[in-house]
Amino acid sequence: MELSNSNYFEFMKNVFKSVGLFEKDEALKGVRVLDVTAVVLGPSASDMLAEFGAEVIKFEPAHGDQMRFVTPFAYFYKNMSPGLWEQQHNRYWVGMHLGHPKAKELFLEFVKRADVVIDNLTPGRMAEWGLDYSVLSKVNPRIIQLHVSGFGSWGPWTGRTSYDAIAQSMGGLSYITGFEDRGPIKSGVWIADWINGLMCALSIVIALNYRERTGKGQFIDHMQVENVIRMLDWTWLYCYLTGKNRSRSGNRDLAICPSDLFECRDGWIAIAAFTECEFEGLCKAMDRMDLFEKFRDPIERLKDENARYILSEMAKWAKEKHTEEIIRYADTYGFSASKVLEVDDVYHSDHFNERWAVQEYEDEVYGYFKEQAYAPRMSETPSRVKWGARPIGFDNEYVFVKILGLTVDEVKKLYDEKVIFKWSESIPSSCPPPDWDGKSGIKYP
Amino acid sequence: MSLSEEKIVGMAINKEYAKFTYSITNPDDVFRKPEALDDVVVLDLSYGNFAGLFASSLLAEAGAEVIRIEPPGGDIARKMSPYGIMIKDAGLPYIVEGRNKFHITLDITKEEGKEIFKKLVKKADVIIETFRPGYMASLGLGYEDLKKIKEDIIYCAISSWGHFGCEAEKHANQPSYDLTDQAKGVIMSITGEPELDPEVPQEYKKPLKSGNWMGWYVGGAFATLGITLALFYRRRTRKGQFIDCAPCEGLFSIANYLFQFYHMTGRKMIRAGNYDYAVFPYSYFKCKDGYTFISGFTDPNWSALCEIMGREDLRQMFPTIKERLTPENQPKIQHEIEKWSSSYTSDEILQIVTEYSRRPDRKGVVVTGRLEEPIDVLKREHWHIRKTFVEIDDPYYGKVLVQNSSLKGMSETPGRIKWVCRPIGADNEFIFKKYLGMGRTDLKKLKSKGVI
Repeated sequence: MELSNSNYFEFMKNVFKSVGLFEKDEALKGVRVLDVTAVVLGPSASDMLAEFGAEVIKFEPAHGDQMRFVTPFAYFYKNMSPGLWEQQHNRYWVGMHLGHPKAKELFLEFVKRADVVIDNLTPGRMAEWGLDYSVLSKVNPRIIQLHVSGFGSWGPWTGRTSYDAIAQSMGGLSYITGFEDRGPIKSGVWIADWINGLMCALSIVIALNYRERTGKGQFIDHMQVENVIRMLDWTWLYCYLTGKNRSRSGNRDLAICPSDLFECRDGWIAIAAFTECEFEGLCKAMDRMDLFEKFRDPIERLKDENARYILSEMAKWAKEKHTEEIIRYADTYGFSASKVLEVDDVYHSDHFNERWAVQEYEDEVYGYFKEQAYAPRMSETPSRVKWGARPIGFDNEYVFVKILGLTVDEVKKLYDEKVIFKWSESIPSSCPPPDWDGKSGIKYP
Repeated sequence: MSLSEEKIVGMAINKEYAKFTYSITNPDDVFRKPEALDDVVVLDLSYGNFAGLFASSLLAEAGAEVIRIEPPGGDIARKMSPYGIMIKDAGLPYIVEGRNKFHITLDITKEEGKEIFKKLVKKADVIIETFRPGYMASLGLGYEDLKKIKEDIIYCAISSWGHFGCEAEKHANQPSYDLTDQAKGVIMSITGEPELDPEVPQEYKKPLKSGNWMGWYVGGAFATLGITLALFYRRRTRKGQFIDCAPCEGLFSIANYLFQFYHMTGRKMIRAGNYDYAVFPYSYFKCKDGYTFISGFTDPNWSALCEIMGREDLRQMFPTIKERLTPENQPKIQHEIEKWSSSYTSDEILQIVTEYSRRPDRKGVVVTGRLEEPIDVLKREHWHIRKTFVEIDDPYYGKVLVQNSSLKGMSETPGRIKWVCRPIGADNEFIFKKYLGMGRTDLKKLKSKGVI
């Protein structure tokens, strides 16, 4: 393949960055999402929609989203849990428990004015409150309602408790992750929650496309464990055909050879080269054309004995090199090589900042912030972070007045009747920062 | 086959809800329902890249007509298969992600191939490609060129560093792979055996990839999210766009609080293995028949777990989340719990925990679940009833089993699998006729020139 020229990259940069991020449109502008989710599984879905322009209204009970208490090393930043912040952007915060009889009527008013409802409560909880799809679709036939839980809304295991780590283990992901002669390892992040958020957001956008064509809404049932199963590539077909479990293989890819992690003089390097041409490039870089002659055929390389031999020869070679040296070889000879990036590498990277993969903004309540924004980069409708998480009930007035048209007095009555509420001093992580001025970030009044 | 009520309602808190949702998402009704994206034509040029193939699988499950364009020798992705196992012209992963797609061949480096490709672009809505950035442009088939042919085209490129930015240009000669995407994705840097556990040998204290192709699958799903967002936007504005998907950015997107915590404190997380520095105990524990998950991380739930184990001393030693989230303490807690768990099987632990949860004087809730082996997963009734897997006797590839579409829980437009895969070029006749009006004689000529 030919080397591309720098004109191409100039052109592409212009496609994305000829105007500023906020001068661009939002794909989901005008789409209103009622978010009855908590923890990570549900909120990650609405978070993706929010960064692509949906107006997300989060309904939170008085004791708060559990992530207000889940934070690394029990650390809080200006009262805020980083575990909450990670999947809670751009949204409007309402303190209202939908189990309250009055809340139901209010919620149905929102449903009339909304496009999407998401929950990740125990399946059937929304029905207990009179808010399942049979009710919602009568109030608004265009509504798209999504429920996600570990095992879904029906079936022998419906109602069973799930967490991220349960989904990773029940779906087979943990079993296949880890070193060959060691035990299973779960992901360093709550990956079963996140990939579900992703699949939920995707199915909502698919449903929005269908509704745009037909005017019809629908109900969507997602199973956390099933989405883990879906992403395990060849695992199931392999088990089915061989009757054997897929074994752990560390960083070695059993279906691509070579593809593994190697230790260099100064750190770790991932290397992959599967096509004949890429493998030839690698062998040239290694000055081991004998390997190329012997293992030109990719399928031949995949045989266990051959793979182990090739990888051990590569390990010997890499040990004497620096990571940058190998990356230069990869650039020159056309195979794939990468260091293992850590969070600070990306946070400070010119490349990812330039791409708006990492975005800086000033939050009205918490000040200067910088964090990642959702992939992929879209030239016309890029994702963007506007503001972060908020104390419980922070936007009550704005939401009830602007969307439901209640008067300030009517809103006050809802407080008096304890239908709606704000943060409680007894729960510090539900509160604004200690030095908050009482106004900043409030949208109304 | 009708299901008994017992199987439908399972452990539901609201049986009517379970029955109602079953009635509207019954997998047996899938093929009688419409498809969400059956007005969309996708050209998938993926080469050696399962992010692209998964992206087009998701679109195909949702009803899009996906035309896979392979070079005449076939996509190298067909050869990516564990230990080199092949079923005819396809490896196992390719059979899994060949679903519902039409497979044609076309050499887009030849002039005639380019012209044919451009004609197909006129009929298409979405293009997916996974080449090195700039490669399509070097053939005269870049976004700039194709936009002139089809103004509102949605062009999705998947590549390791993306199509703009300083590193993209620097490494433009590198192909993309799952492992190198995972390596850039930050999550790999904190996945692996725990750094602070003295019982773990030093040689294992290194970054670990996810066992599956997580870089490719997450990258592919984000690409599809972008494509469907762009389709929605196009329905409203008639505008197309370019989607630049670097799978590592998909992984950043799902990296918990790593960025936020770093921003707030300047500190990085370390590899925690099966520990978790934000919730603990919340881990896999050794048991008689493998491993089982056990959690009890809030104070009441921790009290409950200690009571179940008869280890009040442990509760006193680590009374609040502060002590339990201290990294040095977690291996100690882990090994103490394993002293108890390793004398039971996972089923026995489940039984003990369930019995405890029925006690009126219980102190909290403990959750447990077996760490399943893949073979176990295939046997579970729940997945069988929900049709999580489908067994298909394919006329070409024979009897296979693949994971079903997880979009099948959509009540109006459920995702589905119509066929698993197609041989190289199997749909040339149909697709070239349908879109370009070519007959057998035309195809023969193209074949003799090596274009198809």
